[in-house]
Amino acid sequence: MKDKIKIFLDSDLLEKYLIGSTTKEETLQVERYIAMHPEVREMYLELQDNLEAYAKLHAIKTPDGLKEKILSTIKAQNSLRKRFTRYAVAASVAVFIFAGSSYFFWDQNQNLMQENTIVSNKIKTLEEDMREQLEDVRNQFIVLNNPLTKKYSVKGNKNARDLKAIAYINPVKKLSYLNVRNLPELPEDKCFQMWAEVNGEMVNLGVIKEITDKEKLLALPYADNAIGYITIEQKGGNMAPTVENIVANINY
Amino acid sequence: MSVLLEKHIVELLQERNEKAISLLYEHYGDTLFGVAYKVVKDHDLAQDIVQESFVKIWKKSDSYDSSKAKLFTWLFRITRNTAIDKLRSVNTKTDKEIQMDVSDVYRIGVESTRPELMDVREHLDKLESKYQIVLDALFFQGMTQQEASDELDIPLGTIKSRLKIGLRELKKIYGSTMVLLSILSLLS
Repeated sequence: MKDKIKIFLDSDLLEKYLIGSTTKEETLQVERYIAMHPEVREMYLELQDNLEAYAKLHAIKTPDGLKEKILSTIKAQNSLRKRFTRYAVAASVAVFIFAGSSYFFWDQNQNLMQENTIVSNKIKTLEEDMREQLEDVRNQFIVLNNPLTKKYSVKGNKNARDLKAIAYINPVKKLSYLNVRNLPELPEDKCFQMWAEVNGEMVNLGVIKEITDKEKLLALPYADNAIGYITIEQKGGNMAPTVENIVANINY
Repeated sequence: MSVLLEKHIVELLQERNEKAISLLYEHYGDTLFGVAYKVVKDHDLAQDIVQESFVKIWKKSDSYDSSKAKLFTWLFRITRNTAIDKLRSVNTKTDKEIQMDVSDVYRIGVESTRPELMDVREHLDKLESKYQIVLDALFFQGMTQQEASDELDIPLGTIKSRLKIGLRELKKIYGSTMVLLSILSLLS
């Protein structure tokens, strides 16, 4: 151990460290020796005293005005630093505000885009609805106005004597409509359902709700030699018609 | 310098109080100017170096660690390194060798204007030049003892013994100089 310290002290590293000419690695090495070995620490302190004393022997009076020059340089740098700090603070605030408002606008934009999608979807649905309704109205007009349209009176059988309806069939335009004028009262758990037999297949045309508008025309799918049926079914309608409950049929 | 005053200056430095620089200049300005002059041998250049060093000292003030070095050691390192950097840049600019001959130092007349420094100079003169050469090589030129032996063409053993005696003589001188300087600072 003693040898190690002697080698270290002989290496002049401590002297180099004293005057600040060691490399980073050397500095770390010297500082480790100073921290670990009291002999080295003592030597270092003595060298520092010697250095100060020796340097003082070489003191030269500083030129007049140098102190003021130094102090004004430092003052200028300080105010520059303060100004920089102020600008830095201002810049950070600005960045913060910018980031905040950017997020706010981005969020608003997202909401507006969502709303826009909903609105345009609604418009599309409305357009389709309108087209369908217009088409329906146009067809109704064609059917009612065409001289080739045949008008059939539909009456209910013994199970529904009060059922009255008029079917309009136009074989040229291949359109058919049903106008339900009157529906008999049914028990709460029953309802009327419409069917059409088209090319040998039974098509469900849905439940006939209460008649709110006596002039309303229900579109029927058209086919040559199709038959329309009205049946009494369980409330809510059935998947297939109950044959024994047929109350009316329309041949067209 | 009294330990108390040194502590006070260090505190001011760490608080980044400009008064610290003023106090440092008053107590170490002349010595650091001497250090800079020792390295560059040019009065105007030494003045620039002291100015640059004090600005560096101010900028680095929060990096000073009193557990690693005495305040003067820290100031010395900054000033000497600034001087060496300056010397290098001047040398590369003018491509002219600046003579590093220690004997030049006494030709300058500036320091003689201050009476207390004349006393100090007297003390320095007490130290034989053969010791001064070795101490200069060690403290100002940053030479290792081996390098000093090669450079000055003096055997390593002689360097070692001259250094030892030189430091012992120095201690004798600054023992009395310190007393003298503290009396002077009390009077001023």
